[in-house]
Amino acid sequence: MTRDAQIVEEAAAWIDRLNRPVVDAAVGPAFDAWMAAAPRHREVIAELQALWQSEALVEALGQSRLAPGVATAPSVITDRSGRLRRAAPRFAAAACAMLVAVMLIVPALLTSTYRTNAGRGRSVVLGDGSRVDMSGDTELRVQILPWKRSAELVRGEAFFDVRHERVRIFRVASGTTSVRVLGTAFNVDRQSPTRTAVVVYRGAVEVGVAGETELVLNTGYGARVVDGHVSAQRRIAGGVPDWKSGWFEASDVPLGVLIDKVQRYSARPILLHDRALQALPISGRFHVSDTERALQAVQAAYHVDIAYGPKTIAIRPAGEADDR
Amino acid sequence: MPAVLHQIENRAGDAPAEDWRAIAATLRRYVRARTSRADVVEDVVQETLSRLVHQGRVQKLLSVYALGFRIAANLLIDHHRRDSRYVAESGEETASLAPSPHRVLAGRQEVAILKEALAAMPPLRRDVLVRRRLHGQSCAAIAKELGLSAKAVEKHITRGLADLHKAMPGDTAAREAVR
Repeated sequence: MTRDAQIVEEAAAWIDRLNRPVVDAAVGPAFDAWMAAAPRHREVIAELQALWQSEALVEALGQSRLAPGVATAPSVITDRSGRLRRAAPRFAAAACAMLVAVMLIVPALLTSTYRTNAGRGRSVVLGDGSRVDMSGDTELRVQILPWKRSAELVRGEAFFDVRHERVRIFRVASGTTSVRVLGTAFNVDRQSPTRTAVVVYRGAVEVGVAGETELVLNTGYGARVVDGHVSAQRRIAGGVPDWKSGWFEASDVPLGVLIDKVQRYSARPILLHDRALQALPISGRFHVSDTERALQAVQAAYHVDIAYGPKTIAIRPAGEADDR
Repeated sequence: MPAVLHQIENRAGDAPAEDWRAIAATLRRYVRARTSRADVVEDVVQETLSRLVHQGRVQKLLSVYALGFRIAANLLIDHHRRDSRYVAESGEETASLAPSPHRVLAGRQEVAILKEALAAMPPLRRDVLVRRRLHGQSCAAIAKELGLSAKAVEKHITRGLADLHKAMPGDTAAREAVR
Protein backbone atom coordinates (compact mmCIF):
# COMPACT_ATOMS: atom_id res chain seq x y z
CA MET A 1 0.00 0.00 0.00
CA THR A 2 1.35 3.42 -0.87
CA ARG A 3 1.88 5.97 1.83
CA ASP A 4 -1.02 8.05 0.55
CA ALA A 5 -3.40 5.10 0.33
CA GLN A 6 -2.55 4.42 3.94
CA ILE A 7 -3.34 8.00 4.92
CA VAL A 8 -6.67 7.77 3.10
CA GLU A 9 -7.57 4.59 4.99
CA GLU A 10 -6.61 6.12 8.31
CA ALA A 11 -8.62 9.21 7.44
CA ALA A 12 -11.61 7.08 6.42
CA ALA A 13 -11.47 5.33 9.79
CA TRP A 14 -11.59 8.75 11.52
CA ILE A 15 -14.53 9.84 9.39
CA ASP A 16 -16.43 6.71 10.36
CA ARG A 17 -15.71 7.29 14.03
CA LEU A 18 -16.58 10.99 13.93
CA ASN A 19 -19.86 10.54 12.11
CA ARG A 20 -21.38 8.28 14.72
CA PRO A 21 -24.08 9.85 16.86
CA VAL A 22 -22.13 9.27 20.06
CA VAL A 23 -18.37 9.43 20.17
CA ASP A 24 -16.00 8.53 22.97
CA ALA A 25 -14.52 11.62 24.63
CA ALA A 26 -10.98 10.33 24.14
CA VAL A 27 -11.49 10.34 20.37
CA GLY A 28 -11.57 14.16 20.13
CA PRO A 29 -8.03 14.99 21.28
CA ALA A 30 -6.61 11.98 19.37
CA PHE A 31 -8.30 13.21 16.20
CA ASP A 32 -6.89 16.73 16.59
CA ALA A 33 -3.41 15.29 17.15
CA TRP A 34 -3.70 13.24 13.99
CA MET A 35 -4.90 16.32 12.07
CA ALA A 36 -2.00 18.42 13.34
CA ALA A 37 0.54 15.81 12.29
CA ALA A 38 0.55 16.49 8.53
CA PRO A 39 -1.06 18.81 5.97
CA ARG A 40 -2.06 15.82 3.85
CA HIS A 41 -4.04 14.41 6.79
CA ARG A 42 -6.10 17.60 6.88
CA GLU A 43 -6.64 17.67 3.12
CA VAL A 44 -7.86 14.09 2.95
CA ILE A 45 -10.14 14.49 5.98
CA ALA A 46 -11.69 17.64 4.46
CA GLU A 47 -12.35 15.79 1.20
CA LEU A 48 -13.64 12.63 2.85
CA GLN A 49 -15.93 14.46 5.26
CA ALA A 50 -17.39 16.43 2.34
CA LEU A 51 -17.77 13.22 0.34
CA TRP A 52 -19.41 11.31 3.19
CA GLN A 53 -21.96 14.10 3.73
CA SER A 54 -22.56 14.89 0.05
CA GLU A 55 -25.96 14.62 -1.59
CA ALA A 56 -24.22 12.99 -4.54
CA LEU A 57 -23.23 10.02 -2.37
CA VAL A 58 -26.77 9.63 -1.03
CA GLU A 59 -28.08 9.68 -4.58
CA ALA A 60 -25.48 7.22 -5.84
CA LEU A 61 -26.12 4.83 -2.95
CA GLY A 62 -29.87 5.08 -3.50
CA GLN A 63 -29.49 4.14 -7.13
CA SER A 64 -26.99 1.35 -6.61
CA ARG A 65 -28.62 -2.02 -7.02
CA LEU A 66 -27.97 -4.57 -4.40
CA ALA A 67 -27.30 -7.95 -5.90
CA PRO A 68 -29.71 -10.64 -4.72
CA GLY A 69 -28.32 -12.69 -1.89
CA VAL A 70 -25.74 -10.07 -1.11
CA ALA A 71 -26.28 -10.28 2.59
CA THR A 72 -25.00 -13.82 2.81
CA ALA A 73 -22.30 -13.61 0.18
CA PRO A 74 -18.81 -14.19 1.50
CA SER A 75 -16.91 -10.97 1.71
CA VAL A 76 -13.34 -10.09 0.92
CA ILE A 77 -12.82 -9.24 4.53
CA THR A 78 -13.98 -12.14 6.64
CA ASP A 79 -13.13 -13.36 10.04
CA ARG A 80 -10.71 -16.22 9.99
CA SER A 81 -12.41 -17.99 12.84
CA GLY A 82 -15.97 -19.22 12.41
CA ARG A 83 -16.40 -19.30 16.15
CA LEU A 84 -15.56 -15.64 16.35
CA ARG A 85 -17.98 -14.88 13.57
CA ARG A 86 -20.87 -16.45 15.44
CA ALA A 87 -20.01 -14.40 18.49
CA ALA A 88 -19.51 -11.27 16.39
CA PRO A 89 -22.89 -9.62 16.84
CA ARG A 90 -22.49 -9.76 20.59
CA PHE A 91 -19.01 -8.25 20.39
CA ALA A 92 -20.30 -5.60 18.02
CA ALA A 93 -23.12 -4.68 20.37
CA ALA A 94 -20.68 -4.42 23.25
CA ALA A 95 -18.30 -2.28 21.23
CA CYS A 96 -21.09 0.06 20.28
CA ALA A 97 -22.45 0.20 23.80
CA MET A 98 -19.05 1.26 25.03
CA LEU A 99 -19.23 4.31 22.79
CA VAL A 100 -22.45 5.43 24.43
CA ALA A 101 -21.83 7.59 27.49
CA VAL A 102 -19.81 10.58 26.58
CA MET A 103 -20.62 13.06 23.86
CA LEU A 104 -17.89 14.43 21.64
CA ILE A 105 -18.15 18.04 22.60
CA VAL A 106 -18.39 18.07 26.36
CA PRO A 107 -18.12 21.38 28.11
CA ALA A 108 -15.16 20.92 30.40
CA LEU A 109 -16.96 21.04 33.72
CA LEU A 110 -17.75 24.68 33.49
CA THR A 111 -18.56 26.13 36.88
CA SER A 112 -19.85 29.61 37.53
CA THR A 113 -19.32 31.10 40.96
CA TYR A 114 -21.62 33.80 42.33
CA ARG A 115 -20.78 35.78 45.45
CA THR A 116 -22.45 38.51 47.43
CA ASN A 117 -20.87 40.67 50.08
CA ALA A 118 -22.34 41.22 53.49
CA GLY A 119 -24.97 43.90 53.45
CA ARG A 120 -27.07 43.11 50.42
CA GLY A 121 -28.32 40.16 48.44
CA ARG A 122 -28.75 39.82 44.70
CA SER A 123 -30.73 37.84 42.18
CA VAL A 124 -29.19 35.83 39.39
CA VAL A 125 -30.76 34.02 36.45
CA LEU A 126 -28.97 30.79 35.64
CA GLY A 127 -28.28 29.32 32.23
CA ASP A 128 -31.40 27.10 32.39
CA GLY A 129 -33.71 30.02 33.24
CA SER A 130 -33.92 29.23 36.96
CA ARG A 131 -33.75 32.20 39.31
CA VAL A 132 -31.74 32.34 42.48
CA ASP A 133 -32.14 35.07 45.09
CA MET A 134 -29.00 35.19 47.16
CA SER A 135 -28.86 36.65 50.62
CA GLY A 136 -25.86 38.73 51.72
CA ASP A 137 -22.46 37.11 52.33
CA THR A 138 -23.41 34.13 50.20
CA GLU A 139 -21.41 32.07 47.77
CA LEU A 140 -22.92 29.73 45.21
CA ARG A 141 -21.22 27.56 42.60
CA VAL A 142 -23.41 26.54 39.69
CA GLN A 143 -22.99 24.01 36.92
CA ILE A 144 -25.57 23.80 34.16
CA LEU A 145 -24.71 20.91 31.87
CA PRO A 146 -26.74 19.30 29.10
CA TRP A 147 -27.54 16.35 31.35
CA LYS A 148 -27.70 17.84 34.82
CA ARG A 149 -28.05 21.02 36.82
CA SER A 150 -26.25 21.42 40.08
CA ALA A 151 -25.44 24.11 42.57
CA GLU A 152 -23.35 24.13 45.70
CA LEU A 153 -24.14 26.53 48.48
CA VAL A 154 -20.66 27.21 49.80
CA ARG A 155 -22.00 29.58 52.45
CA GLY A 156 -25.00 31.76 53.15
CA GLU A 157 -28.60 31.38 52.10
CA ALA A 158 -30.43 31.30 48.80
CA PHE A 159 -33.95 30.97 47.50
CA PHE A 160 -34.22 28.84 44.36
CA ASP A 161 -37.01 29.16 41.84
CA VAL A 162 -36.10 26.25 39.61
CA ARG A 163 -37.39 26.10 36.08
CA HIS A 164 -39.22 22.85 35.52
CA GLU A 165 -37.56 20.38 33.22
CA ARG A 166 -38.82 16.88 32.72
CA VAL A 167 -35.50 15.06 32.87
CA ARG A 168 -32.77 17.35 34.02
CA ILE A 169 -32.69 17.22 37.79
CA PHE A 170 -31.59 20.29 39.72
CA ARG A 171 -29.50 19.41 42.73
CA VAL A 172 -28.37 21.78 45.47
CA ALA A 173 -25.64 20.66 47.83
CA SER A 174 -24.92 22.30 51.16
CA GLY A 175 -22.26 20.39 53.01
CA THR A 176 -23.43 16.75 53.07
CA THR A 177 -27.04 17.82 52.65
CA SER A 178 -28.48 17.68 49.17
CA VAL A 179 -31.78 18.80 47.72
CA ARG A 180 -33.00 17.29 44.46
CA VAL A 181 -35.81 18.73 42.40
CA LEU A 182 -37.18 18.90 38.87
CA GLY A 183 -38.90 22.26 39.16
CA THR A 184 -40.02 24.03 42.28
CA ALA A 185 -39.27 26.91 44.62
CA PHE A 186 -37.39 26.35 47.85
CA ASN A 187 -34.99 27.96 50.24
CA VAL A 188 -31.66 26.58 51.36
CA ASP A 189 -30.00 28.12 54.39
CA ARG A 190 -26.49 26.99 55.17
CA GLN A 191 -26.36 28.00 58.82
CA SER A 192 -23.01 26.37 59.44
CA PRO A 193 -20.83 23.74 57.74
CA THR A 194 -22.84 21.00 59.46
CA ARG A 195 -26.21 22.69 59.66
CA THR A 196 -28.60 23.34 56.78
CA ALA A 197 -32.27 24.30 56.73
CA VAL A 198 -34.55 23.69 53.75
CA VAL A 199 -38.06 25.08 53.22
CA VAL A 200 -40.28 24.34 50.22
CA TYR A 201 -42.53 27.08 48.84
CA ARG A 202 -43.79 25.32 45.70
CA GLY A 203 -43.69 21.74 44.46
CA ALA A 204 -41.73 19.07 46.29
CA VAL A 205 -38.09 18.29 46.90
CA GLU A 206 -36.05 15.35 48.07
CA VAL A 207 -33.69 16.06 50.92
CA GLY A 208 -30.73 13.74 51.23
CA VAL A 209 -27.71 13.41 53.43
CA ALA A 210 -24.44 11.97 52.14
CA GLY A 211 -26.13 10.68 49.02
CA GLU A 212 -29.05 8.90 50.75
CA THR A 213 -32.57 10.20 50.33
CA GLU A 214 -33.94 10.96 53.76
CA LEU A 215 -37.12 12.89 53.30
CA VAL A 216 -39.52 14.18 50.69
CA LEU A 217 -40.73 17.67 51.48
CA ASN A 218 -43.95 19.07 50.06
CA THR A 219 -45.06 22.66 49.68
CA GLY A 220 -45.15 24.47 52.97
CA TYR A 221 -42.84 22.10 54.81
CA GLY A 222 -39.28 22.47 55.94
CA ALA A 223 -36.48 20.31 57.24
CA ARG A 224 -33.36 20.91 59.21
CA VAL A 225 -30.21 18.85 58.85
CA VAL A 226 -27.83 19.10 61.78
CA ASP A 227 -24.68 16.99 61.85
CA GLY A 228 -26.18 14.58 59.33
CA HIS A 229 -29.51 14.16 61.16
CA VAL A 230 -32.69 15.28 59.44
CA SER A 231 -35.67 16.60 61.33
CA ALA A 232 -38.90 17.80 59.79
CA GLN A 233 -40.06 21.28 60.72
CA ARG A 234 -43.53 22.60 61.24
CA ARG A 235 -45.57 24.05 58.39
CA ILE A 236 -44.58 27.49 57.33
CA ALA A 237 -46.81 30.26 56.10
CA GLY A 238 -46.26 32.73 53.30
CA GLY A 239 -45.03 32.45 49.76
CA VAL A 240 -41.50 33.73 50.17
CA PRO A 241 -38.80 33.03 52.72
CA ASP A 242 -38.55 35.31 55.72
CA TRP A 243 -35.08 36.50 54.84
CA LYS A 244 -36.31 38.19 51.70
CA SER A 245 -38.19 40.63 53.85
CA GLY A 246 -35.29 40.71 56.29
CA TRP A 247 -36.74 38.45 58.97
CA PHE A 248 -35.58 35.20 60.55
CA GLU A 249 -37.82 32.91 62.52
CA ALA A 250 -35.68 31.00 65.00
CA SER A 251 -36.79 28.04 67.03
CA ASP A 252 -34.05 26.61 69.18
CA VAL A 253 -31.35 27.88 66.88
CA PRO A 254 -27.83 28.52 68.23
CA LEU A 255 -27.10 32.21 68.77
CA GLY A 256 -24.13 31.81 66.42
CA VAL A 257 -26.49 30.97 63.55
CA LEU A 258 -28.67 33.97 64.28
CA ILE A 259 -25.64 36.26 64.45
CA ASP A 260 -24.41 34.88 61.09
CA LYS A 261 -27.75 35.90 59.64
CA VAL A 262 -27.53 39.38 61.08
CA GLN A 263 -24.02 39.49 59.65
CA ARG A 264 -25.35 38.80 56.16
CA TYR A 265 -26.95 42.24 56.25
CA SER A 266 -24.21 44.11 58.04
CA ALA A 267 -21.00 45.35 56.48
CA ARG A 268 -19.64 45.82 60.04
CA PRO A 269 -18.13 42.56 61.40
CA ILE A 270 -20.02 41.17 64.40
CA LEU A 271 -17.72 39.39 66.83
CA LEU A 272 -19.02 36.50 68.89
CA HIS A 273 -16.09 34.58 70.29
CA ASP A 274 -17.57 33.05 73.42
CA ARG A 275 -18.25 29.35 72.73
CA ALA A 276 -21.02 28.97 75.26
CA LEU A 277 -22.80 32.00 73.80
CA GLN A 278 -22.38 30.71 70.24
CA ALA A 279 -24.27 27.55 71.20
CA LEU A 280 -26.96 29.33 73.26
CA PRO A 281 -30.36 28.19 71.91
CA ILE A 282 -32.47 31.08 70.67
CA SER A 283 -36.14 31.26 69.72
CA GLY A 284 -38.14 34.12 68.33
CA ARG A 285 -38.68 36.23 65.29
CA PHE A 286 -35.83 38.59 64.52
CA HIS A 287 -35.58 41.44 62.09
CA VAL A 288 -32.10 40.39 60.94
CA SER A 289 -31.77 42.98 58.16
CA ASP A 290 -31.90 45.72 60.80
CA THR A 291 -28.67 45.05 62.66
CA GLU A 292 -29.28 47.20 65.73
CA ARG A 293 -32.88 46.16 66.17
CA ALA A 294 -32.00 42.49 65.90
CA LEU A 295 -29.16 42.76 68.38
CA GLN A 296 -31.32 44.77 70.79
CA ALA A 297 -33.88 41.99 70.71
CA VAL A 298 -31.17 39.46 71.54
CA GLN A 299 -29.87 41.66 74.34
CA ALA A 300 -33.37 42.10 75.78
CA ALA A 301 -34.18 38.40 75.83
CA TYR A 302 -30.83 36.87 76.71
CA HIS A 303 -28.06 37.65 79.07
CA VAL A 304 -25.56 39.31 76.76
CA ASP A 305 -23.67 42.58 76.41
CA ILE A 306 -23.32 44.24 73.05
CA ALA A 307 -20.56 46.76 72.43
CA TYR A 308 -20.76 48.90 69.32
CA GLY A 309 -17.23 49.82 68.24
CA PRO A 310 -16.34 52.09 65.31
CA LYS A 311 -15.46 49.16 63.05
CA THR A 312 -16.88 46.10 64.79
CA ILE A 313 -19.71 44.99 67.01
CA ALA A 314 -18.77 42.67 69.90
CA ILE A 315 -21.13 40.35 71.73
CA ARG A 316 -20.07 38.99 75.14
CA PRO A 317 -21.62 37.30 78.13
CA ALA A 318 -23.29 39.95 80.33
CA GLY A 319 -21.17 41.38 83.12
CA GLU A 320 -17.86 40.38 81.60
CA ALA A 321 -15.32 43.17 81.87
CA ASP A 322 -14.62 45.14 78.74
CA ASP A 323 -11.05 44.09 78.07
CA ARG A 324 -10.40 46.55 75.27
CA MET B 1 -19.46 49.05 50.73
CA PRO B 2 -21.49 48.29 47.63
CA ALA B 3 -22.49 44.71 47.03
CA VAL B 4 -20.51 43.20 44.22
CA LEU B 5 -21.52 40.11 42.36
CA HIS B 6 -18.59 38.20 41.01
CA GLN B 7 -18.99 35.71 38.29
CA ILE B 8 -15.87 33.70 37.87
CA GLU B 9 -15.33 31.19 35.14
CA ASN B 10 -13.17 28.36 36.26
CA ARG B 11 -11.58 26.84 33.28
CA ALA B 12 -9.00 24.11 33.10
CA GLY B 13 -6.49 26.49 31.57
CA ASP B 14 -6.86 28.19 28.22
CA ALA B 15 -7.06 26.14 25.05
CA PRO B 16 -3.62 25.43 23.62
CA ALA B 17 -2.58 27.75 20.85
CA GLU B 18 -4.34 26.37 17.78
CA ASP B 19 -2.90 26.58 14.36
CA TRP B 20 -5.72 28.72 13.02
CA ARG B 21 -4.23 28.92 9.54
CA ALA B 22 -4.28 25.13 9.24
CA ILE B 23 -7.82 25.00 10.62
CA ALA B 24 -9.00 27.68 8.18
CA ALA B 25 -7.38 25.92 5.21
CA THR B 26 -8.98 22.60 6.18
CA LEU B 27 -12.42 24.13 6.61
CA ARG B 28 -12.08 25.99 3.31
CA ARG B 29 -11.26 22.76 1.51
CA TYR B 30 -14.22 21.02 3.12
CA VAL B 31 -16.73 23.78 2.37
CA ARG B 32 -15.46 24.20 -1.18
CA ALA B 33 -16.06 20.51 -1.77
CA ARG B 34 -19.64 20.91 -0.59
CA THR B 35 -20.72 24.05 -2.45
CA SER B 36 -19.76 25.65 -5.73
CA ARG B 37 -20.62 29.17 -4.57
CA ALA B 38 -17.45 31.10 -3.83
CA ASP B 39 -19.23 33.77 -1.74
CA VAL B 40 -20.79 31.12 0.49
CA VAL B 41 -17.41 29.43 1.01
CA GLU B 42 -15.77 32.48 2.59
CA ASP B 43 -18.90 33.33 4.60
CA VAL B 44 -19.12 29.89 6.09
CA VAL B 45 -15.39 29.58 6.80
CA GLN B 46 -15.19 32.96 8.55
CA GLU B 47 -18.34 32.37 10.58
CA THR B 48 -17.14 28.91 11.59
CA LEU B 49 -13.77 30.27 12.72
CA SER B 50 -15.34 33.02 14.77
CA ARG B 51 -17.70 30.55 16.47
CA LEU B 52 -14.80 28.20 17.17
CA VAL B 53 -12.83 31.00 18.80
CA HIS B 54 -15.86 31.98 20.87
CA GLN B 55 -16.62 28.40 21.90
CA GLY B 56 -12.99 27.86 22.80
CA ARG B 57 -13.22 30.78 25.22
CA VAL B 58 -16.36 29.49 26.87
CA GLN B 59 -15.36 25.87 27.22
CA LYS B 60 -12.50 23.52 26.58
CA LEU B 61 -13.03 21.91 23.19
CA LEU B 62 -12.36 18.22 22.89
CA SER B 63 -11.75 18.52 19.18
CA VAL B 64 -11.45 21.81 17.33
CA TYR B 65 -11.57 20.06 13.97
CA ALA B 66 -14.60 17.89 14.74
CA LEU B 67 -16.52 20.88 16.08
CA GLY B 68 -15.39 22.98 13.09
CA PHE B 69 -16.79 20.46 10.61
CA ARG B 70 -20.04 20.30 12.54
CA ILE B 71 -20.49 24.07 12.70
CA ALA B 72 -19.62 24.46 9.02
CA ALA B 73 -22.08 21.71 8.05
CA ASN B 74 -24.86 23.43 9.99
CA LEU B 75 -24.05 26.79 8.41
CA LEU B 76 -24.14 25.19 4.96
CA ILE B 77 -27.60 23.83 5.73
CA ASP B 78 -28.70 27.31 6.86
CA HIS B 79 -27.37 28.85 3.65
CA HIS B 80 -29.07 26.20 1.59
CA ARG B 81 -32.40 26.75 3.36
CA ARG B 82 -32.16 30.51 2.97
CA ASP B 83 -31.37 30.17 -0.72
CA SER B 84 -34.17 27.74 -1.46
CA ARG B 85 -36.65 29.91 0.45
CA TYR B 86 -35.53 32.93 -1.53
CA VAL B 87 -35.94 31.11 -4.81
CA ALA B 88 -39.34 29.80 -3.75
CA GLU B 89 -40.58 33.22 -2.65
CA SER B 90 -39.40 35.14 -5.66
CA GLY B 91 -40.79 32.62 -8.11
CA GLU B 92 -39.85 32.13 -11.70
CA GLU B 93 -38.59 35.61 -12.41
CA THR B 94 -35.34 34.78 -10.67
CA ALA B 95 -34.33 31.96 -12.91
CA SER B 96 -30.78 33.20 -12.66
CA LEU B 97 -30.66 32.10 -9.02
CA ALA B 98 -31.31 28.49 -9.96
CA PRO B 99 -28.27 26.23 -9.88
CA SER B 100 -26.00 27.02 -12.77
CA PRO B 101 -25.85 24.41 -15.57
CA HIS B 102 -22.22 23.87 -14.66
CA ARG B 103 -23.11 23.01 -11.07
CA VAL B 104 -25.85 20.62 -12.13
CA LEU B 105 -23.49 18.96 -14.56
CA ALA B 106 -20.82 18.65 -11.91
CA GLY B 107 -23.38 17.11 -9.58
CA ARG B 108 -24.51 14.61 -12.23
CA GLN B 109 -20.94 13.75 -13.03
CA GLU B 110 -20.18 13.21 -9.37
CA VAL B 111 -23.13 10.89 -8.94
CA ALA B 112 -22.13 8.94 -12.04
CA ILE B 113 -18.55 8.52 -10.84
CA LEU B 114 -19.68 7.42 -7.39
CA LYS B 115 -22.19 4.97 -8.86
CA GLU B 116 -19.47 3.45 -10.96
CA ALA B 117 -17.15 3.13 -7.98
CA LEU B 118 -19.92 1.53 -5.93
CA ALA B 119 -20.66 -0.95 -8.71
CA ALA B 120 -16.98 -1.96 -8.77
CA MET B 121 -16.98 -2.80 -5.05
CA PRO B 122 -17.54 -6.21 -3.51
CA PRO B 123 -21.33 -6.43 -3.03
CA LEU B 124 -21.04 -6.86 0.73
CA ARG B 125 -19.04 -3.66 1.05
CA ARG B 126 -21.61 -1.77 -1.00
CA ASP B 127 -24.35 -3.18 1.18
CA VAL B 128 -22.57 -2.02 4.34
CA LEU B 129 -22.19 1.51 2.91
CA VAL B 130 -25.86 1.67 1.89
CA ARG B 131 -26.94 0.57 5.35
CA ARG B 132 -24.59 2.94 7.14
CA ARG B 133 -24.94 6.12 5.08
CA LEU B 134 -28.34 5.78 3.43
CA HIS B 135 -30.29 4.03 6.19
CA GLY B 136 -28.22 5.39 9.07
CA GLN B 137 -27.92 1.95 10.68
CA SER B 138 -25.52 1.57 13.60
CA CYS B 139 -22.43 -0.59 13.29
CA ALA B 140 -23.94 -3.04 15.78
CA ALA B 141 -27.14 -3.39 13.75
CA ILE B 142 -25.21 -3.90 10.51
CA ALA B 143 -22.91 -6.44 12.16
CA LYS B 144 -25.87 -8.37 13.52
CA GLU B 145 -27.89 -8.42 10.32
CA LEU B 146 -24.97 -9.37 8.09
CA GLY B 147 -23.34 -11.75 10.57
CA LEU B 148 -20.09 -9.80 10.65
CA SER B 149 -17.88 -8.61 13.46
CA ALA B 150 -17.88 -4.91 14.36
CA LYS B 151 -14.29 -4.75 13.14
CA ALA B 152 -15.24 -6.16 9.75
CA VAL B 153 -18.07 -3.63 9.39
CA GLU B 154 -15.66 -0.82 10.21
CA LYS B 155 -13.17 -2.18 7.72
CA HIS B 156 -15.81 -2.26 4.98
CA ILE B 157 -16.81 1.34 5.66
CA THR B 158 -13.19 2.47 5.77
CA ARG B 159 -12.17 0.66 2.58
CA GLY B 160 -15.39 1.65 0.81
CA LEU B 161 -14.87 5.30 1.65
CA ALA B 162 -11.27 5.09 0.46
CA ASP B 163 -12.44 3.51 -2.82
CA LEU B 164 -14.96 6.31 -3.36
CA HIS B 165 -12.34 8.93 -2.59
CA LYS B 166 -9.94 7.37 -5.05
CA ALA B 167 -12.55 7.48 -7.80
CA MET B 168 -13.24 11.18 -7.33
CA PRO B 169 -11.20 13.56 -9.45
CA GLY B 170 -8.96 15.24 -6.92
CA ASP B 171 -5.50 16.69 -6.82
CA THR B 172 -3.59 13.55 -7.59
CA ALA B 173 -0.44 15.62 -7.82
CA ALA B 174 -0.58 16.26 -4.09
CA ARG B 175 -1.18 12.58 -3.52
CA GLU B 176 1.81 11.56 -5.60
CA ALA B 177 3.97 14.05 -3.75
CA VAL B 178 3.86 12.22 -0.43
CA ARG B 179 4.73 8.82 -1.84
